Amino acid sequence: MLITLLVSIAVISLISVFLSLLMVIADATIGNYGVVKITINEGIRDLEVLGGQPLLRSLQQEGIFIPSACGGRGSCGLCKVKVVEGGGEYLPTELPFISEEERAQQIRLSCQVKVKNDIAIEIPEELFYVKEFSTTVEKIRNLTHDIKEVTLRLIDPGEITIKAGQYIQFVVPEYEDLDEEVYRAYSVASPPGDATHVELEIRLVPGGICTTYVHEHLKEGDTVTINGPYGDFYLRESDAPIIFIAGGSGMAPIKSILLDMEKNANPRSAQYFFGARSKRDLFLLDEMKALESSIPNFSFVPALSEPLGEDNWEGEVGLITDVVRKNVSDAQASEAYLCGSPGMIDACIKVLTDLGVSEDRIFYDKF
Amino acid sequence: MKQTPEYDRIQAQMQKGVITLDGFLGDDSRKLVDIIVADTLTVHKRRTTHEAIVERMEHFKNLGLKGLGNFITLDEHFEVKVETVRGLLPSPFGGPGMYGKTNTTVHNKRLGRTITYTDLHIHFIRDHGFYEGIGSPFRLEPDALIEILEVGTEE
Repeated sequence: MLITLLVSIAVISLISVFLSLLMVIADATIGNYGVVKITINEGIRDLEVLGGQPLLRSLQQEGIFIPSACGGRGSCGLCKVKVVEGGGEYLPTELPFISEEERAQQIRLSCQVKVKNDIAIEIPEELFYVKEFSTTVEKIRNLTHDIKEVTLRLIDPGEITIKAGQYIQFVVPEYEDLDEEVYRAYSVASPPGDATHVELEIRLVPGGICTTYVHEHLKEGDTVTINGPYGDFYLRESDAPIIFIAGGSGMAPIKSILLDMEKNANPRSAQYFFGARSKRDLFLLDEMKALESSIPNFSFVPALSEPLGEDNWEGEVGLITDVVRKNVSDAQASEAYLCGSPGMIDACIKVLTDLGVSEDRIFYDKF
Repeated sequence: MKQTPEYDRIQAQMQKGVITLDGFLGDDSRKLVDIIVADTLTVHKRRTTHEAIVERMEHFKNLGLKGLGNFITLDEHFEVKVETVRGLLPSPFGGPGMYGKTNTTVHNKRLGRTITYTDLHIHFIRDHGFYEGIGSPFRLEPDALIEILEVGTEE
């Protein structure tokens, strides 16, 4: 009986050792895909990478950054690329994020597709110019009770080429219960002329991973990684009068555009309507006042929807849509640039089209 | 009740620091399926449904949007505010599309009580009967929703 038991244990142990060895050998051979080729946009750029890694990471290591919010964990569904060839079958982890239409177009989650063989993909050309930057927090200041301005000094690379109005991704490191880094997008508030700095305006969102980190943990002197630039919200070349409308941290890209207009002595006439609830939600009033003097045809119209008694507010009062309607009579020749919540933008588009702005001349950055 | 591996995967996505800093479960140690079943029972005891609750949540959200982030008065004794901050969230349950960080706050003046919910909550309740775990900072108590939003009951 005892001998049978010992023999059984020995046999099971031998089988276990054999299987373990088999797994090690398999990992070293089957899992070794060697060098594989990633063809981007029909050969505009070809990469040779070590196979076996997720496509998102392989591209990152070659300096091509696909926007992603979760850092490659397959939980945000943002890192979509078109895989023309060599992507293999869809994984169950991708399917929840891919619509039928996207599936027909071979859109995949790049964090879930493993590069095991030669692969051909298509990405927007602008992503070739996106870089990762190591930065230092030079300054943090409170703009309002819930918005902080964070100024980052670029270290490596030391300069960024950006269009006024575009955004970057802020890499949030592990902290508290966050056990992997995540990415969050923020519009750049500084002008392109200051290529060595990136300034962000970040409003605290209760429970927000990045905003809690910035408001409660980030200190001057800390190191921050960002990547960018991204986005197609920027001032178009034209002579048309401009209507800017924003609320809250929607100030950021408009401020960048205005500072760029100031630097370039842009002669276009511009009106900027900025909506806030009460005076404590207004910020950068002095800076905007100064721009009224330095930009030839620029006026700033702050409006409060619910001014408090102690605000002693003598400016415009009401919803920003009503204030725009009151102050703009004919906007047929105008272009409009909007940044704010989807509700605000949808309501403003309606007002602007009523005032004669054609929809193809309304550009917006929806939260 | 036995939980499927699919729900195990979803429950992992609901932990702190995965999608949001606080997660969706709080200090609730129950299985996800048990959390959902318990809240569904509460809703049924109140002689209503998840669908009826969501209908009221969407009613207030859609009308409140007109306030562009300010409180507006609706149906005489409700004040509603809909605010959006930058960013999108995926659902831990999966599915294409992302949910805006839109908060709808409803104040029932007759009861003197207020409740705030997000677009993700509307999806959670409509598609999964999920109100978040006990202790989650954003948990919605079904009783509170039914009372404050004055959700109709079945006869």
